[in-house]
This record gives sequence, structure tokens and C-alpha cells, in this order.
Amino acid sequence: MGEFTLREHTADVAVEATGDDVGATFAAVADGLAAAMCDDWPAPDAADGGERADLRVVAENPEAALYDYLDELIYERDVRAVLPVDNEARVEGNGEWSVDASYRGVPLSAVVAREVKAVTYSEMDLRRVDGGWEAYVVFDV
Amino acid sequence: MTTREFDDVTLERVREHVWEIPQEGGMEVPARVLASEALLEEIGEDDSLRQLKNAAHLPGMTKHALAMPDAHQGYGFPVGGVGAVDAENGCISPGAVGFDINCGVRMLRTPLTYDDVRGREEELVDELFEAIPSGLGGGGVVEGSRDAVEGALERGVEWAVEQGYATEADLAHCEDEGRRPDAQPEFVSKKAKDRGMNQMGSLGSGNHFLELQRVTDTFDDAVADAYGLREGEIVVLIHCGSRGLGHQICSNYVRRIEQEHGDLLDRLPDKDLAAAPAGSELAEEYYGAMCAAVNFAWVNRQLITHRTRETLAEVFDAVDAADVELLYDVAHNIAKRETHDVDGEARELFVHRKGATRAFPAGRAEVPDAYRDVGQPVIIPGSMGAGSYVLKGGDRSLEETFGSTAHGAGRLMSRTQAKQEFWGGDVQDDLAEQDHIYVKANSGATIAEEAPGVYKDVDEVVRVSDELGIGDRVARTFPVCNIKG
Repeated sequence: MGEFTLREHTADVAVEATGDDVGATFAAVADGLAAAMCDDWPAPDAADGGERADLRVVAENPEAALYDYLDELIYERDVRAVLPVDNEARVEGNGEWSVDASYRGVPLSAVVAREVKAVTYSEMDLRRVDGGWEAYVVFDV
Repeated sequence: MTTREFDDVTLERVREHVWEIPQEGGMEVPARVLASEALLEEIGEDDSLRQLKNAAHLPGMTKHALAMPDAHQGYGFPVGGVGAVDAENGCISPGAVGFDINCGVRMLRTPLTYDDVRGREEELVDELFEAIPSGLGGGGVVEGSRDAVEGALERGVEWAVEQGYATEADLAHCEDEGRRPDAQPEFVSKKAKDRGMNQMGSLGSGNHFLELQRVTDTFDDAVADAYGLREGEIVVLIHCGSRGLGHQICSNYVRRIEQEHGDLLDRLPDKDLAAAPAGSELAEEYYGAMCAAVNFAWVNRQLITHRTRETLAEVFDAVDAADVELLYDVAHNIAKRETHDVDGEARELFVHRKGATRAFPAGRAEVPDAYRDVGQPVIIPGSMGAGSYVLKGGDRSLEETFGSTAHGAGRLMSRTQAKQEFWGGDVQDDLAEQDHIYVKANSGATIAEEAPGVYKDVDEVVRVSDELGIGDRVARTFPVCNIKG
């Protein structure tokens, strides 16, 4: 399980997230990204609740994996015209770091959403803590 | 000597409006902040000064890392930052350009006066909101195709002329005449092109907008005349950038720099200052891709211009689309290879302007013919409740700031705090009732995030620019109606 909080940043928006494991933490950051763009979206069983989709990224270290994962979600948003919500992720590190993730893609036509332009490395923090992981990510708005 | 301290940053007063952070540690050069006492107080409240010190670490940074009067915290490089970096022995930094490559503004002159528009603002704002795609997933003015994206990346506004969305006069009144010849679309990733395809001619959201304004004051009649600005007339201001295409290019190259030039990155205090060494293959590829995104952004604003012309002609019988003329289009997130005099020597530099506007004075070869005798127009948007300004490139800009000035009012308050302090509907009602400014947006949250109270005082920003001689006041405008994503 993971959870997130939106944090203040003068021009942009930051997401602070915690999770039981690194995958849950990644997914919580992704849920924070969705919350930074939209206040409310249809439930999964609503007519325009959207379909689940999978994605996978592989990177050289955990921070890069988090960056690429969030970048991929933003790409999916623009190209598939969906808001990725209800994120799930499994992260494995063994030399290289892989993220196998899924999200529910709510059609942008069904929500009122604002644009987040990109994930940034600025002030990015990802660390193991007692009982799980913590992450802090600034997004360009 | 007068000094000011903000956390661990000490600034020494050099003279009126000029503050210096002395070189220390890994800084290549000192850093300078161009601000009044009041603006410096605001700039010192967030992380801008530490970010400016970090920017001074970029290899090849020349003379000073600079913060303009509207500076505020960004990511890596501060917004309102200018960094001139040696193009032979230095580097080029995607982080010092920003994700929204060629985010910028253009101003259109119209044959309308405020009297023509008064009483029809709500109709007008509705029509413009309907006509101009904005927000997320709203598509673009044109249905993008692979060929259209390639054409825009390669040829910029010249592509728009070929397609019937622009005129030859538009080319003549755009920075670089609407085309960066250094563009190399082959270095733009497929992912970036995918994202650009369905966003050609769209505002996006955040602080991007289209605004009808009335000219309320002219300060320099000769230059205002050269720019075609007269009090009481209506102009249109368009603020947006290269959309997802530009954002993706920046992300792609930040990651490639991390993978291919980790040694340089390890020496920098912030990963988002990611830079490729000048002369490296990656530096050349980024520059080619970035210039292509610059072209794409000009096309984006051009397509919105085309739709705006059509809309004004539909709403007002007396307006012909051809009567709506481009005054100027200028980038404020860009890096350009420029030649500047440094201590008596002509040096080729990558001038990074992130939230800063080129402000070349009269005579500089890059200024279009139409304005070369008076200096280039510089467009400084204020908030939707305050005035905007048209400046001219100042006579001291080359000496002080590598030919640069501010880009807007500069944010003062975070988006989350703004939403706690303002309610979109109230902001909208107050602007209409008190100031006769009509605003329409996809989301009330956007209006709250962009409420006039979240920005610095644009009058003070412009006063400092004018007094420093880097960008001189020509005219002031006031909002009439505004649409945003």
C-alpha cells in the first residue's frame, strides 16, 4: 500500500509519497501525479471509467526508473488521451531496474484536467526507510 | 558595502538594482540578481538564489549567471535565469532551457477599439474559448499528421505559410523570421513527435492563455508608432509553447546526458542542470532537436493566430482576417548560439534564456528589418488582472544581460497555496464586476492557480528593466477577456 501528499512549490507541484515497498511507492507517486492534474474522475464501474493498460520501463538505477515510469505515464496521457489513475507497479532491481506497471486510463473527455508538463529530477528523493520507501518528486506544470 | 542575506546566500549591492553573489566553491563565475529591494525580498523567499548559484557551476558560464527581475524558483535553473555559456569549451543545458522549449508570447494588432468590444466581451470570450483548443486532450487547430509535424519542425512558420495558415508578413514580424535554420528534426524522438501530432495549435493549460487587451498607455510615442500601437486599440496576446513535443525532447535529452555524460553531471549540484559538453555529439543533437521544437512552437502560436483571425472576423463584421497583424513573436525558453562582446573579444556563446526574453537593441543584425532601427519588441505578460507591457530592447541589454530582460510578472505563490486562498468562481466574478475582465477556463482550479494575487507586481518588474536600460517601456495594455486551459 502507498499514499501521497501534494506539496507546495512556487511554480510547479511536488508529490511526496510513501509505500510498503518500492513498487507501492512508485504507484503512489503516479497517483499523486493524477491528483495534481485532476480533482475528481469517474469510478471504475462508470460508463466512462476507462480500461486498464500495462506499461514497462527498464532503467539503470531506481531514480531513473521512477523518472522513466512517470515520463511514460505522461506520454500515455498525451497519446492515448487518458488520465492514468489507480496505478499499480512492481519494481525489481537486479543490476538494472524494471517497472512493470498498470493504470486505469480514464478518457480525458470524461474529466476536467490540467496539464502537468513533465517529471523533473529537481529535488528528487527516493529512499528506503523503516517499514518501506519514501519518494519526493517535483513536476513541471 | 551593502549586503543582504537569505539563508546561506549573501548578496552584495553593486549599484541600484544590481546584486552580486560572489564566486565561491565550484561556481565558474559570480551570479547577479537584477532587482529592486522589494523584488529581491520576494526572490529571496523561495529557492531561486540557491538555484542561481547552482547555475553558475555550469562549465563555460561567462561573466555572470543572471537572474532577471521576475525570477522565481524553477527546477535546476531558476525561472527568469540567463546563462551565457561558451559554445566552444562550455556546454549546453536542456535544464537551463526548460521543458517547454520556446514557450513564448506573440502579440497581434487588430483594427478594433475598446469601444467596438465593450458590451460584447462575454460573447467574444465564449467564441474564442470554443474556437481555440485548450486544456488536456482538447486536440489542436489542425488534425496533425506525420508530415505536418515534420514540416513544422523543419520549416517553422514557413510551413504554415505553405499550408495557408500564415502570411509573408507574419514571417517578417517573428523572431528569427519564424524559422530556426539549425533545426534537425531527425534528432527529435518518435515519442516527442507522437505527442506533438494531436496538439498542433493548442494552448495547453497552467499559465498559458489567450487574452484580448486594450492599449491603455504609450510611453515612447516614436517606438509605439513603429510598433503600430495606439491607445484605445485592441491587441491579442497569445502565450504557449511547444506542448508535449518540447517537453518530451527535454526529458529525452536529460536522460541521455545522464547516461552518456555522467561525469559532467556528477560535478553539477543539481541533476536538472544536466548539460552536454560543447562540441559533443549529444550537444549537437540536442541543439538540433531544440531548434526544431522552437519551430514547432512558432507554428503552434501561428495556428492559434489563424483561428483567432477567423473568430474575430466572424464576430465583428468590420474585421477582415487579414487586418489582424502580427506585431511580434518572441521566445522566453530557449538557448541560442549568439556572438557577444566579452571584455572586448567577440565570443560565440550558447545564451540560455529560461523565463527570460531576448531584448536586442536597435542595430543588432538578428532584429527583423521592420524593427531594426528601434530595437526588437519585448512582450511582458502580466497576470489576468493586471496590465501587460510592450518594451523595446534596451541600449544596455547587451552589456548587462547578453541582450535579455524579464519574461513576465513571475510567480509569488505556489499553486497549492493559491487554491487554498482563492476560489476560481470568485476570482472570475470579481474580475468581471470590478475590472470588466471576462475570463473563461476549463477548470475553476486553473483560474484560482492563476489569480492575480499569485504574481509579482509587473509594474515593478518593468520599472527595474526600464531603469537598468535592458528593456525600455513602450506601451502598457490591460486585459479585456482571457481564455485558458
